[in-house]
Amino acid sequence: MAIAKAERLMNLALCLLGARRPLTKRELRASIEAYLEVGGGLGRAGSEDAFNRMFERDKDDLRELGMVIETVENLDGEIAYQARRDSNRLPPITLDAEEAAALTLAAKVWQQARLAGAASGALQKLRAAGMPLADTDGADDPYGGHSALEPRIPAREPAFEPLMLACRDRRPVTFAYRKSNAARPETRHVEPWTLECWRGHWYLAGFDRDRGAERVFRLSRITGPVRSRAGAYTAEVPDHVTVRETVERWAGEIATATARIRLRQGAGYPLRAKAGEVRDVGDGWDELEIPYGHGLDAWLVEFGPDVIVLEPAELRADVVDRLRAVAKG
Amino acid sequence: MATNAIDQTRRMLSLVTYLRERPGARVEDVARAFGITTDELISDLHVLPMCGTSFRGGDLLDIDTDGERIWWHNADAVGSGTGEPLRLAADEATALLVAARAVATLPGLRESDRDALQRATAKIEAAAGESAGASSRLSVTFESEGGVFADVDRAIAERRRLWIRYYSPARDELTEREIDPIRLFAVGHTYVEAWCRLSEARRTFRLDRVAEIKLLDEPSDPPPIEPRDLSEGLVQPSASDPEVVVEVGPGGRWVAEYYPHDSAEELPDGGLRITLRTPDPASLKRLALRLGRDGRIVAPEELADSARDAARAALAAYGD
Repeated sequence: MAIAKAERLMNLALCLLGARRPLTKRELRASIEAYLEVGGGLGRAGSEDAFNRMFERDKDDLRELGMVIETVENLDGEIAYQARRDSNRLPPITLDAEEAAALTLAAKVWQQARLAGAASGALQKLRAAGMPLADTDGADDPYGGHSALEPRIPAREPAFEPLMLACRDRRPVTFAYRKSNAARPETRHVEPWTLECWRGHWYLAGFDRDRGAERVFRLSRITGPVRSRAGAYTAEVPDHVTVRETVERWAGEIATATARIRLRQGAGYPLRAKAGEVRDVGDGWDELEIPYGHGLDAWLVEFGPDVIVLEPAELRADVVDRLRAVAKG
Repeated sequence: MATNAIDQTRRMLSLVTYLRERPGARVEDVARAFGITTDELISDLHVLPMCGTSFRGGDLLDIDTDGERIWWHNADAVGSGTGEPLRLAADEATALLVAARAVATLPGLRESDRDALQRATAKIEAAAGESAGASSRLSVTFESEGGVFADVDRAIAERRRLWIRYYSPARDELTEREIDPIRLFAVGHTYVEAWCRLSEARRTFRLDRVAEIKLLDEPSDPPPIEPRDLSEGLVQPSASDPEVVVEVGPGGRWVAEYYPHDSAEELPDGGLRITLRTPDPASLKRLALRLGRDGRIVAPEELADSARDAARAALAAYGD
């Protein structure tokens, strides 16, 4: 039976961390059982290639775990590897019980496998560094270990992980994207900058190469795989990226004017909550002024006969137009 | 917790550093400190004796357990590289920092909790060094109503009942009810899960729909219930709920993003035919009105009729 990958990675890590001098690939292969067995064993045809591929992947995996592996050429001109202790250790860090509890809570928020694993891994490193146990760790409580506050960050979109890595490593990407009102997706070439989660949805901000400008993409509208492209960014990455403002404008959170409406008494609480002034105009109706931004017409139509738009005329026309479409339906 | 080879390797590296300092550590305590089950820990302990710096020379970790305590017999001789915890990887720093920053900005959070998060964030940033850099490329905002959040949080801590006036968008009405709060959770928006004394059932309330809130002097007394599993999403329609079929054009595709559904079939015009379930189809009248020319309710017929009637009544007021 092949030796489990975790065991092999652990052996490679221990060899690289424990070495007092850089070790050659040959030396590492001789020290690690899984490497000796690969490809049918030393000396077998193809065994060397199989070992080389496995060794490269393993080094990449350890680097993903944060290990700094140095590559040097030794006196015989052979490549040798070492994970020096001083470049691999966690600097001293002292956390009190409150800080430990705060981090334990924060580490639980990810519902995305890669980041959930990374968060647990970080806590374990801190634990090994002496971080105290928080009161909430596995403590008895009537709700089976659930604390009273549970923030969760969902990331179900398949595009999330590849885009997170592309933002981290600053790699250009391409993907098929369907705009909210487009019938067909379109291929976009993007230099990804940042990912932002707002109201439970993920958005990407980046430089759109075809449009030559910054664009914001909603991850749930990416259809199909995200592919990395070789090469560097062509546009400068800004210090501050404002995804949220763009998305709030889409959501109609940014008002550009004021609308005056009539609202049946007892109805439309969320409209009242946004209103500047509410005036009783008799016959069971109120009149109020509310902020007017993108998408207000669609929202007002939801209240059916409980809302009448007074002004502006353009909003009134949009609402009537929408109502007609439903009435015809 | 699902274990893959990467996560297990990372965990075992921290484990050997941890065990080196704690000869005879108890299995239960170590599992708790590492946030894993004792079974997961035992399986790690079975792998470790096969790891070391040279399998031929016999330089393997001599770690064993009697199921209760863990002993490492050659900690001084083998595994000399494991004396200190390893630096944080970029993903690890990102996962902790992004989450801690997001929680710290939750409106209504207790100031002591916010302080602790901010102190911890600063220490992690310092310890992570350049690994912390990529964490600025990811950010999360939780929405919450600070005042309501603080009252609910206090009611949970003091185990007190709450009175709320709550807005139901499906009916466009406010109802008054007494609730026994169980926990707060944030998934984009912030919610309180509670036992509702009005409906005698577990209910989830979104904080931005709480119009008014009061702490009562009566003690909170929710029956012991299993908290909802949040991993599958908030809305979990049941198979026995009535079916609703909506056809939308390209401009109504957003419906599939916001409403959990059984199926979404592509239509030739770039639209979708969406089938979903809801305990109360009448609650979708708002959706039918909102869709306008971007879509229509195919079934049930009563729902389509009620939307049409509402639109006609509304048009009458415009003299249409």
